[in-house]
Amino acid sequence: MGSTPVVLSAAKDLIAASMRSLRLRSGQAFASLRMTALIVLALTAAWPLSAQPDKSPDAALARLLLEARATLPAACSQANADRLIKILCAKRIRIGLRDYYPLFATRNGEARDGYEVDVALAIGQRLGVEVEFVRVNAATRIPLLAEDRVDLVIATMGHNTQRDGQARFIRPHYYRSETAVIGPRALAVTNMADLPGRTVCVTIGNGSNAELVSQGARLMLFDEAGALPDRLRDETCALAAQDDSFFANYFTDPDFARRYAQKFGFAQVPWGMAVARQGSEQLARALDLISQIFHRGGLFLEVARKHRIGTSFLEQQQAVWQREACNTDTGAADSACVLPPLNAELKPTPFANSASAFETWFESWSDIDLSLPMLKTAPAWSMFKEGVLNSLILIAGALAATLGFALLLGAALGARLAVLRWPARLLTVTLQSSPIVLTLVIAAAIVHAFFAYSDAVALGASIAALGLANGSNAGQALSEAMWSLRAEGSAGGGPLFGRALGRAATQIVAFLVNAAKGTPIASFIGAPELLSALTDITSFSSGRATTYTLLLVFYTVVVMIVVWLCGKLRLYLEGRQAAGPGSHKVPA
Amino acid sequence: MTPLIERLSSDFLPLFLRGMVVNFEIAVIALAVGLAAGLLLAFARLGGGVPGGAAASVISVMRAAPTFVVMFFLLNAIPRDATLFGAPLALSGVMTVALSLVPYSAAYIADAGADAVRQLRAGSSLGALLFLPNLTRAFFVLVMSSSAAAAIGVTEGITVILRHAEQLPVLGDRLVLFATGIVLFGIPLQAGFAIMSVIQRRLSLRVARPPADA
Repeated sequence: MGSTPVVLSAAKDLIAASMRSLRLRSGQAFASLRMTALIVLALTAAWPLSAQPDKSPDAALARLLLEARATLPAACSQANADRLIKILCAKRIRIGLRDYYPLFATRNGEARDGYEVDVALAIGQRLGVEVEFVRVNAATRIPLLAEDRVDLVIATMGHNTQRDGQARFIRPHYYRSETAVIGPRALAVTNMADLPGRTVCVTIGNGSNAELVSQGARLMLFDEAGALPDRLRDETCALAAQDDSFFANYFTDPDFARRYAQKFGFAQVPWGMAVARQGSEQLARALDLISQIFHRGGLFLEVARKHRIGTSFLEQQQAVWQREACNTDTGAADSACVLPPLNAELKPTPFANSASAFETWFESWSDIDLSLPMLKTAPAWSMFKEGVLNSLILIAGALAATLGFALLLGAALGARLAVLRWPARLLTVTLQSSPIVLTLVIAAAIVHAFFAYSDAVALGASIAALGLANGSNAGQALSEAMWSLRAEGSAGGGPLFGRALGRAATQIVAFLVNAAKGTPIASFIGAPELLSALTDITSFSSGRATTYTLLLVFYTVVVMIVVWLCGKLRLYLEGRQAAGPGSHKVPA
Repeated sequence: MTPLIERLSSDFLPLFLRGMVVNFEIAVIALAVGLAAGLLLAFARLGGGVPGGAAASVISVMRAAPTFVVMFFLLNAIPRDATLFGAPLALSGVMTVALSLVPYSAAYIADAGADAVRQLRAGSSLGALLFLPNLTRAFFVLVMSSSAAAAIGVTEGITVILRHAEQLPVLGDRLVLFATGIVLFGIPLQAGFAIMSVIQRRLSLRVARPPADA
């Protein structure tokens, strides 16, 4: 505490002592003189109090409430009265809480329980009013404030720069969560550096998804967070990322805690109570001061311990708000004391407005809700462009690799030397027996043993795997054509290999087309092609239906172009065979 | 016993075999739906005219549609609460994968079916019967392609292998596990192809052999 209360206390002690002295002594003149001296001394000691008012948040809150109450009941009838006045008039505060967020706010009939419930009750007690609970959820908590259907929300709401424009957040924040990456205890994952190439299960729209994507993780998207623990249990997900407050309840289950652990956390976001932006200035000020007092006095910490939620943030905050510099009536506005909101705003593209205008026009014209998230924010646009480019590189690479491996394996399989033929046959049978997903995973595992993870490495491994898988089949067709030409005894007409190419042209082209069609599956091992990019974009934005429709159109058109080009190649190869002397035409 | 075998012996094989059943289940559904759609398209195409042209266009698009993208399209483009004639339209993981394979199976069957009908019209019933080994080939291609389900969390054979591989820190162990997967997938596949070759050879022999009463 500051020095002023100490001075006041000394003055009181002095006056009390003087009064006791007065009762003991009998000399009137002496007493009168002594009395005057002591009063002067007491007033001198107390002088700083009237000149410099109490700067503590407690005193500021008391003054604020006193001033507000002084306006009652006249102010109760004023339409534009601050919400604090309305609360004091009604003697109740309407607080928006979630109905089911274990450990934070749950409801069983009329009984409510959780950290946020106890914080709400403590606020009501501090204001001297009753608390009326109103059910809110993630979608309604801000609209209900704006519609004046609640005075305050305490509803697991992260404070970010986007929401700052929609509600007035109370500072200091009453809790802080982070995105926790959860996985089996045996899994060797300790930080972001272990994520490249791994699949992490997340919920769509989670702001931290963008950071996971930027670290090279592959995302498996789910609509509801409730699915994540189940998918961990049935091993669909090896890792899941979600708010640590969500997983806190699951870790109270001994079986879950025995099997899984938090590998690491990131993307910390402060949680804020919020009031409406309009007409809540005094209420917000009162709540700022109450929040300061609750941190300093340890009420938040005590309630958190009661409900067994994480307390490290609250312990840090208690230390902050007990500091002399922060424990003032202006502490909540001091950037050295309060935390900034999470910066969740993505930089728009220069043509974001045009994209939005086009969406609106398209919807009015066709009645179809079109959403183009890849055109609206700079990170999404960048990922989209890279995705298109990488897809085209991947397709070109897969086509070249398929043709290359087809020629190599075809020559080896068609060779008369067993030492060439048998290893090639073993490789071909192996590749034919391996599902393409497994071939990709094997290629990625081998490549990553030699090279650090990067986009180029993932693309290279994908090209090799797709080329081998399709090239082995095309090579087999080529070798069969060679053997059939030998069996027919067609010695003339140029090199056997060239004529076999013409005979196997249809099969080779079929596998080239297959390779082009198969390229999106490279996203499975983290190749940054368009499917991968759009999955990442939709993980932190809206418009999934439109995005995947455009993706389907893109790949189908590209494959149709490849089919057309491959058709030209087939005609060329077949033409070479037909033109060659002594050639044998394949019956139509 | 190596640590790998010790680790895998407890639950790997039963889980893997259960996973492979899912691969076959997906392939059966995709083939059944593809058979219905493919034969319709084949007959429409053979019929000529506007329906024939339309069928040919549909087959071309289906041939070009990448299975993996179709799978993600079905997964993401259909709202979870969508209904069709009052019935919920949301697809299970298995159905999503199976339906994503339908464009391939329908296009393949449309081509093979059209060939078979042409053979039949040309008087070669045995030539038309080659449709059956082609169907078997398509089935095994579908079994192998159904491993794409691993990308959306459906527990099929490859998913089981990958989950176990995640627990193995040594690359050598993982490669041994992958090789085991290839063998386990390869056995039914190669057996299927061998059976198909036998059928194809017998049919070819019958086609080549002159009729007894000729």
